[in-house]
Amino acid sequence: MLQSFFQWMQGLPFSAWMLEETWASPIIQCAHLVALVAFAGAVLVVDMRLLGRGLIKTPLNQLAREMDRWMIWSFVALFVTGAPQVLSTALKQYYSPFFWWKMQIVIIGLLFNFTIRRRVAFAEEGSLGHWPKVVGFLSIGMWTGVSVYARLIGLLS
Amino acid sequence: MRSLFEWVDALPSSIALRESLNAYPTMLTIHVVSMCLFAGLIAYWDMRLVGLTLRKVPVSNIPTRLFPWALTGYGINLITGGLLLYSQPMRYYGNFYFWAKMVLMLIAGINMFWFHYATYKSVQAWDQGREIPMNARLAGVVSLALWAAVVVTGRMMAYSGLMPQWWNNLNIGA
Repeated sequence: MLQSFFQWMQGLPFSAWMLEETWASPIIQCAHLVALVAFAGAVLVVDMRLLGRGLIKTPLNQLAREMDRWMIWSFVALFVTGAPQVLSTALKQYYSPFFWWKMQIVIIGLLFNFTIRRRVAFAEEGSLGHWPKVVGFLSIGMWTGVSVYARLIGLLS
Repeated sequence: MRSLFEWVDALPSSIALRESLNAYPTMLTIHVVSMCLFAGLIAYWDMRLVGLTLRKVPVSNIPTRLFPWALTGYGINLITGGLLLYSQPMRYYGNFYFWAKMVLMLIAGINMFWFHYATYKSVQAWDQGREIPMNARLAGVVSLALWAAVVVTGRMMAYSGLMPQWWNNLNIGA
């Protein structure tokens, strides 16, 4: 069922246009990479603060609230520029284990961010013991994993 | 210059790296991850200068607290980038986007040093306030644009078939 869905995506006129239009894929990939940099920066500023590094003179919840919108909007940009790439190379993605690993971590990362990470980052500082460090470490690990698998789709699939 | 690239291309260690199945994917993946560390943090520093974000954070806090991490990312990025170039010098020699990236990085570096040794000296006067001097804002905008262009040209290096016609006419890679 999933395979036929990916076949359907691959057969869309938009997918054909993406593959035929010389500049479509490069422009979208470049925009995806710029969005990745913006997303990584927003995540790192808060995660390093959770780890007790980086901007330690600024209250954690203030920093987290400020970076939240940058993280959300850059993720939206990642999705908007990532979806056309999946559509145009749907079958390549389907048969790549890295794509599925990436998607699994993306979903876990989003759930983790909007539940545990947000709660810890927005909480009163000093009330959660070592949990901020654990959360910061896990967040950096997950999003690094997403970047690694994303790169490997193109290189090893 | 060409003979230097050709000399590196023929070195046994360059050939070994080029022929290794795992070296290229490993180096390129570390290159991308370290780019996220470096460019991600620098982007928010630039946006702080422009006044787009982190306006309650004193400007001088960012170089002190974030630059060591950004520079670590940059160091890893330089090493992996250097190894990628070392492994396939003749692939990059004729690539317009490679040279464009190098020039853009050089200009971004000059902009960074110019800002540090000229505008940043007076940071105590505008550290806490929201009014950032025009020179600092300009340096932020220029840096944002330059590093974004570095990221873009870096990605475009894979598209050797999409180089400008005038560059192709020079026959540099032939």
